[in-house]
Amino acid sequence: MTVNKYNITHTNNAALESEERIKKIKKESGKPVIGYLCCFAPPEIISAAGAIPFRITGRAGEDNSAADAYVEPYGCTYVRNILARAVKGELEYLDGLVISHSCDMVQRLYGIWTYYHTLPYSYMFNVPHQLSRWAQDFFKRELGFFQESLENFTGKKITSEVLKGTLATYNHNRALVRDLYKLRKKPALAIEGSEMLNLLIKGGSLPPEDFTVLLEEKRKEIKRRAPKTEKARRIMVWGSIMDDPTLLLMIEEAGGQVVADDTCIGFRVWEKDVPVTENLYEGLTEHYFVNFQCPRTDRGPGVERFNYLLQRAREYNVDGVIGYCISFCDPHKFDYPDLRDYLKKEGLPLLLIDDNYSFEPKGSIKTRLQAFLEIL
Amino acid sequence: MNQSEMSRAKRHLDTTRKMKEMLPRFFMRQMERRFSSNEPLAWCMVGVPPELLKAFDLLFEWPENFGTMCASRLVAPHFIEVAEGDGYSPELCSYVTNTMGYCKLTKDKGEPPEESPLPGGMGTPSMLLGSGFICEPRWKWFQSIATRFFNVPVYSSDPLAPPWDIDPRDPRVEDHYLTLLREDLAGQIDFMEKQTGKKLDLDLLRETLALSHKALGYWRDTLALRKAVPCPMSSTDYFHSIIPQMYLVGDQEAVDFYKEMYEEVKDRVARKVGVTEEEKYRLIWFGLPPWFNMGIFNYLESKGAVVAYESTYNVGDFFEVDLSDPLEAIVRRTWQRAVKMHDYGAETMPELCNPAVFGGFSGSSLLNELVEEYSLNGALMHLTRSCRAVSFGEVHTKNRLAQLGIPSLIFESDMADPRLWSDAQIKNRLHAFLETMDKAAGGDKLNDS
Repeated sequence: MTVNKYNITHTNNAALESEERIKKIKKESGKPVIGYLCCFAPPEIISAAGAIPFRITGRAGEDNSAADAYVEPYGCTYVRNILARAVKGELEYLDGLVISHSCDMVQRLYGIWTYYHTLPYSYMFNVPHQLSRWAQDFFKRELGFFQESLENFTGKKITSEVLKGTLATYNHNRALVRDLYKLRKKPALAIEGSEMLNLLIKGGSLPPEDFTVLLEEKRKEIKRRAPKTEKARRIMVWGSIMDDPTLLLMIEEAGGQVVADDTCIGFRVWEKDVPVTENLYEGLTEHYFVNFQCPRTDRGPGVERFNYLLQRAREYNVDGVIGYCISFCDPHKFDYPDLRDYLKKEGLPLLLIDDNYSFEPKGSIKTRLQAFLEIL
Repeated sequence: MNQSEMSRAKRHLDTTRKMKEMLPRFFMRQMERRFSSNEPLAWCMVGVPPELLKAFDLLFEWPENFGTMCASRLVAPHFIEVAEGDGYSPELCSYVTNTMGYCKLTKDKGEPPEESPLPGGMGTPSMLLGSGFICEPRWKWFQSIATRFFNVPVYSSDPLAPPWDIDPRDPRVEDHYLTLLREDLAGQIDFMEKQTGKKLDLDLLRETLALSHKALGYWRDTLALRKAVPCPMSSTDYFHSIIPQMYLVGDQEAVDFYKEMYEEVKDRVARKVGVTEEEKYRLIWFGLPPWFNMGIFNYLESKGAVVAYESTYNVGDFFEVDLSDPLEAIVRRTWQRAVKMHDYGAETMPELCNPAVFGGFSGSSLLNELVEEYSLNGALMHLTRSCRAVSFGEVHTKNRLAQLGIPSLIFESDMADPRLWSDAQIKNRLHAFLETMDKAAGGDKLNDS
């Protein structure tokens, strides 16, 4: 199978393109498409069950008012946007829905969505906040319940061998993504941050073997490319979910280079392989829970919880950090003052962009970006 | 009646009026102990079983309740603005930002700020006991305090409950969640033993739970008396009388308080004494109250509108449990409440597992019972901008109430931040809502009066 079969392009409309493509893939493969938000519930298990995991994306800046009949205006605009899309019937191609208890709003979206619109399959994957031994045990048991629900839906038993094979494919993709990230450590830029994000958005919407082809194709293409050698400030982005490259494009237009990230659809998922342990749930728990750097999980007090970020900033030789917070995003907004002070102490400035998932007003955001890049 | 902006509440019960003497006595006792010893002091969140605190004979404070006090004395905006100046978003929970501002001022000045409503403030904590019950900000709150202001150990309990479409009576599901609850409680106790240097006295915990449940039994029965027409007890009495649950549960003083309240309310029912002269509207209140303006309930009463049921802090779902194993009793209390809530439909609030004594409304099918039993004919929903955890689901509840033919009004403000209160606009909306209720009922009660 080749990616070109689906005419995957390298435009900045990755999310739009993904949706059109998944309908085609679904028709051709006959497999059910299971939409998910957030990665605590491993997509590997969905794939192993014979379904296609599909990362649902919003449409930043689009009208959310269709959600008003079901949820309050004071809530994460990204979540409201997703619900508005479901209400408008834009996600009808989904056969199933998996939402993890990642944050309050997403968790509650699950209840409202499935109450008003029953899907053939739906599962809320419950996730503790603690990282205690018993919380990890809970997570492992939850993996079992999740797997069982998928098996009941697809009628396909997930054997240990099948899951191991799926993990190998996903881990191969992780290695390919890491190779691309490695290129970003070099002074001469081989791949823009916006391009990388688009690639990962596409990855969330493709069967893993198709993503492998896309990644390999991208690697070859990059080798043929002349890296950008002009000097630009090196930026790491941190914060709420970014399923749209607009902000990264704005940073790039303002003269910055986005070379590293710590957001939901970013390095977090690809940074390490899922360890293939004798009990596969051990490795999945380590990857998707213990080591998964989402601020909703409690890593105790102290700034040590940000050490991984500082380490990443140094590895990628970052000049400054741009934070992105969507309205009412509690986990990130709570971390902001501690992170800002910690980075400042380490000589790294942090600019926070507050947004209602619209990247508007663009003029004002651009001015702030330009001013920030100038002071670096 | 004072109907100006931010008016204090008029209470209707003698019992709740007496709290004005009872609570200062409690705070004085606490303060004397704090100043005369170096005992550990825990700052706690709702969700921490207060009986455990008593069984450890531990000094404690409730920053959430401190937030309500700062709100009612109108000092919360000062603390909140300090926190905002420190980088905390105005969108964050105002109980939290109130505490963060208070902590910053305390740390900067080396003593509690003079604006603090409690003499001596909340003291310097030696540990933080959090609870993940109900919302995410609770996880970040104590993490930030211990990162930024007081470098003390934190234990946040992690009570989870099954999502609305999972059967909690499936033995495997029950075991999945009960195992977590048991181990988490053991972890919490282990932490407290290390921090206090004391071994938990299970006999004392059992006695405390027995007293606590006795008090809560009276509270539950008192609330059920509000089904009477006219309603014998107002929201101002209701919201103020939750405080002994936090500070005095497990003491005979709390049993006496709730017993006295029960008897007073029962007597009012027998004598048909209501909250207003003429009860025209019987309402259900959703969400947290505006603590800075509890007089709004008296404003409603002046229009003949009485709130007979509140969605928050309600222990209508309180259960009797076997106390022979007091730790298992806490786990079972938590689980039974979660299952009951689940039965009513937990589609908007899956995180119902509260190991403490507080309950709360959840489940849209509960509405059918409440509307009938409490003879309700309208609903007020306070959409608190900084607390999405409690206000999320109000639109859904409104939809369900509409199916029952019950009109409802959602109005926006906050629980602790009066800057979000717009008095004229809110009163205008409340008044217009009551008029709408009249029209729906085919009469014109407001103009009849």
